[in-house]
Amino acid sequence: MTEVDAVTAIYPPLLVFATALLVLVLPRIVGFALGAASLATVTVIAYVAPEGGHMTMTFLGFDVQPYLVDEYTRFVAIGLGFLGTFAVVYAYSSETSRAMAAFALAYVASAFGAVFAGDWLVLVFMWEIMAVTSTLLVWHFGGDAVRAGYRYALAHGIGGSLVLFGVIAHYAQAGTFLYGQGVGLEQAFITGGIATGIPAMLAVLGIGVNVAFIGFHTWLPDTYPRPHLAASVFLAAFTTKTSAYVLLRAFPDGHIWLAYMGGLMAVYGAGFALLQHDMRALLSYHIQAQLGYMVAGIGIGSAIGIAGAMGHLFNNVLYKSLLFMAVGVVIYRTRENDLYKLGGLWREMPLTALAFFIGALSITAVPGFSGFISKGMLFDAATGYFGGTEHWPLFVLLFIGGIGTFLSFIKLGFYVFFHGESDHEVRDAKTGQTTAMLSVGGACVVLGLPAVGWPLFTDLIPIIDGTQFTDPEGLQTLNPYSMGHLQDAALLLGISAIAFPIIRKPLSKLDFRDPATYVNPVGYRLGRWSMLAVTEVFAAVDRAAVSLVRTCYWVGNNPVRAVGSVATRVPDTVVESDAFETREGKSTSTLSLRATIGMTVLFVTVVLTSVLLLVL
Amino acid sequence: MSSVELLPALLVVVPILLATVPIALGLRYDRTGWSVTLATTVGLFAGTVYLATVVYGGSGTNQEVAVIHELGGFTAPMGIELVADTLSTMIALLVTGTALGVLAFTRVGGPRGNTFYSGYLLLVGGLLGLTMTGDVFNMFVFLEIVGLGSYALISSGRGPEAAVAALKYLIIGTVGASIYLIGVGFLFMATGSLNMLDLAATVPTLEGQNLQLARAAFAFIFVGFAIKVAQWPLHSWQPDAYQHAPDGVTPLIAALVSTVSAYALARLLFTVFGAEFIASTPYASEIIVTVGAVSVVAGSTLAVIQTDVKRMLAYSSVSQFGLIVAAYGLLTETALVGALIHLIGHGLMKAGLFIAVGIIAIGYGARTVDAYAGLAGERPFVAGSMAVLLIALVGIPPSIGFIGKWYIAVGAIEAQSWLVAGVIFLSTMLTLAYVARLLERMYFTPASALEAGHEDTATVGHAVTDGGTATVRGTRVTIGMLAIVIFVAALAVFLGFAGDAFFALLEPFVESADLEVSP
Repeated sequence: MTEVDAVTAIYPPLLVFATALLVLVLPRIVGFALGAASLATVTVIAYVAPEGGHMTMTFLGFDVQPYLVDEYTRFVAIGLGFLGTFAVVYAYSSETSRAMAAFALAYVASAFGAVFAGDWLVLVFMWEIMAVTSTLLVWHFGGDAVRAGYRYALAHGIGGSLVLFGVIAHYAQAGTFLYGQGVGLEQAFITGGIATGIPAMLAVLGIGVNVAFIGFHTWLPDTYPRPHLAASVFLAAFTTKTSAYVLLRAFPDGHIWLAYMGGLMAVYGAGFALLQHDMRALLSYHIQAQLGYMVAGIGIGSAIGIAGAMGHLFNNVLYKSLLFMAVGVVIYRTRENDLYKLGGLWREMPLTALAFFIGALSITAVPGFSGFISKGMLFDAATGYFGGTEHWPLFVLLFIGGIGTFLSFIKLGFYVFFHGESDHEVRDAKTGQTTAMLSVGGACVVLGLPAVGWPLFTDLIPIIDGTQFTDPEGLQTLNPYSMGHLQDAALLLGISAIAFPIIRKPLSKLDFRDPATYVNPVGYRLGRWSMLAVTEVFAAVDRAAVSLVRTCYWVGNNPVRAVGSVATRVPDTVVESDAFETREGKSTSTLSLRATIGMTVLFVTVVLTSVLLLVL
Repeated sequence: MSSVELLPALLVVVPILLATVPIALGLRYDRTGWSVTLATTVGLFAGTVYLATVVYGGSGTNQEVAVIHELGGFTAPMGIELVADTLSTMIALLVTGTALGVLAFTRVGGPRGNTFYSGYLLLVGGLLGLTMTGDVFNMFVFLEIVGLGSYALISSGRGPEAAVAALKYLIIGTVGASIYLIGVGFLFMATGSLNMLDLAATVPTLEGQNLQLARAAFAFIFVGFAIKVAQWPLHSWQPDAYQHAPDGVTPLIAALVSTVSAYALARLLFTVFGAEFIASTPYASEIIVTVGAVSVVAGSTLAVIQTDVKRMLAYSSVSQFGLIVAAYGLLTETALVGALIHLIGHGLMKAGLFIAVGIIAIGYGARTVDAYAGLAGERPFVAGSMAVLLIALVGIPPSIGFIGKWYIAVGAIEAQSWLVAGVIFLSTMLTLAYVARLLERMYFTPASALEAGHEDTATVGHAVTDGGTATVRGTRVTIGMLAIVIFVAALAVFLGFAGDAFFALLEPFVESADLEVSP
């Protein structure tokens, strides 16, 4: 076996799934260690595996390619694998049960399955499994999480079905499930693309549920704050980011509507994040905002847009999970979800505060942190810095989203870690939690360092080679620490720093519901009525069927009465109705249906005659 | 003449000759019938299995693999041939296997007496002859032998109803056989031959007056067999015969007599007349399909309203054979294979069901649907096996009943005969109706609900076991009886996985039938 074979001999999702099963039976520490090790292995495999499809087979009679490695899958898998490793460490020290870890690993395995998929069929398959496993992960916590998980399952069930129908329609047009075949998008940066027309329509709606398009996003802030705090870390990283990657696969050329949807998502998500009291709800709205940036990049569809979206995806996996970890530690120690009831915690838990601020500075794209690099690329894509179309309205939206992000993280950090003295006397994060947070945080810092750090990061990003990439304008060189970018960052910071003291007071009094949450009651009513309608129709059919069977039984048990009831309706002249007088209390009355011998011979004659007449 | 070629003749001659032995021995010994019959049927079964290994072991067309015996050395077409080809061997396996299995019931379950076993052997010999004969007149002879055996066995039941039923069967059956004979006469007039293969070669060449004769022959032969196969409305002998025959006889008759007749019909339709003749004769295939379809609907409907379990199963046979006949009329390969598989599967399932009915009558004293209440709790094994067989009869996979129906349905769709497709659906629903009725009684109605009505039959049964009425002394349920029912139920399920095997085994015959539908 050559070296290459050895690397690709293991199908990563299977490895992770096997570990998920082992976690259930092994002692807790061994199981979790294995879980972390398996994810680390997947990261390494993703890094070294050669490009190409490593498993070609037929599934349900179709050609499929469940294990595809290219620049994109490699990149996404490295990000998810790295984060997953530390998320398991975090989960271990956050006292998660073995069962929950097993669900989480199964969920991670399915997300990897979706990432490594090389065709739409496997993708849909994994997509559905991902929906199921993530629902189980939410449900496992019990309590409030059950109802939210139910709504989550509904949303993903609908989204998954749309994707499924989209993929089937794609097959009908393209004649194959394999990525990039039969759709005529050979020029795109990424092999993929879904057939235009109905397939694309269905796919964008289905994927839109998972990447939290405005209006389709209610499940996100509804679900993510509710389960176990370690479960939130997993959820925050895997579903939405995998889906953003799949959106790119489906629409490699982008679409201007997608771009503006992304811009609106950034504003909407950041705006509602600003209004939240629950810390994890705030972070959840930020997932939507951050996804907005990625969707915008994908929608623009230029080289820098896609690279920026992918880079942002990678960063988001890291810092959003880091933020969930840090907030999780706060909740773990204080048992408090509402940020207005906290304060001054930086003295109590300095390490957690450090981790939080690394995450916050990354997400707000402060120079020196990784978010700055990728957000800068997205701004460049919107402004047409490297040539291509200029989308100034989009840039404004993204910029406003950036301000909202700044404001909400100032709010979160201020109220949790500063703002007076702490009422809580709590210890800092546990060792495992600290390790996880600082490892992930370290990556956020290193990948954003001026001069030395960021080229490492950009080299990993697909399309970009080192710090350079080729687009229709020719060879381009990235320069994230240019004056323009620094000015943008300073402007963002400046506006936010001035605005926050002004809006702080009114903000704390606001408790404004997301208008989209009205989707839930409306959906509930609609579902209830349609359910009632269906059950009533079914009940009617059932009653009819049962009464038919009862009638048959009755006829079987009372043949004479049955004949009698028919006969009495015939005019008296034809039948002597007296013969069928019902004899009450004698249900066993008999009626001879038996043909006599003579009658049978008559039948024989009739049949023979008619057959002869017909044949001759 | 090699020893293998002697086997077909031995299989027919040995049981008929040995049928005299129980009577002869009965002059001196009291209870030898069962042992003689057991030895004979074991031998027959072994012989058939050996024959099967030879037939199915060979490769080539149906004609090449067949084992042919020319009686008395007179060569065809003048002499009479006994032919064991891929189809008749399978039917012979069913006949000998069932005959062997039913013996497990009759040893204790009765009827007893040496004369009974003489009839038994005569019937088995006649059935094997009917299965393997290659001559249309010889077929009539065996038809009569089978008839005689059945009349004798049915009339061995107690009470006047059995005698009446046997008489009814005798008269109607003889009418049927006579009509068949008239058909054979017409065919002989048209072709001057009685050998099946010779006829098969001659029939397509017929013209003018002779063609009219052959068509008349077809009409007579088909109606004659419609009586024998019990197609509605010519079925009236069958429910009486099944119901009033002794419990040990019904499985044999229900599983074999109509089955072998239906096989003989297939032989005549597809080997003698040929698909092309049927297709070119006006309305011929329509008549076959219509008679079958009407039987399916009428038979199942009548089955639904029955109160006596044996009678219900008898009407069920009318409907299942209707399905088989309708499938013949479709004239496609798939439908023919489905019909043949269903023929065998139905025989197997009905044998098991009637043995189970016998066991329940002995052990639980129940004969009507109502009296089956609470059976599952009291007699779990026989109730379970019966449930499995009933469900298999509906055609729920995996079971032999499903494969047969499946192939017939596929054939119906291939032939675009939506009538048959609809009838299959309807028959499944109606079968479900009467099966569900029985299952509901067995499993979901407590026995106490009908205690009063049940007590009578139970005491009657009790009196019998106590030896109060001497005729059925010491009747009880033995392990052997239960074992054979459970075995049949397991086999019905197991064969549900053997659809491809059946298809492969029957393929040479189906190809030789030369049906025009290609795929």
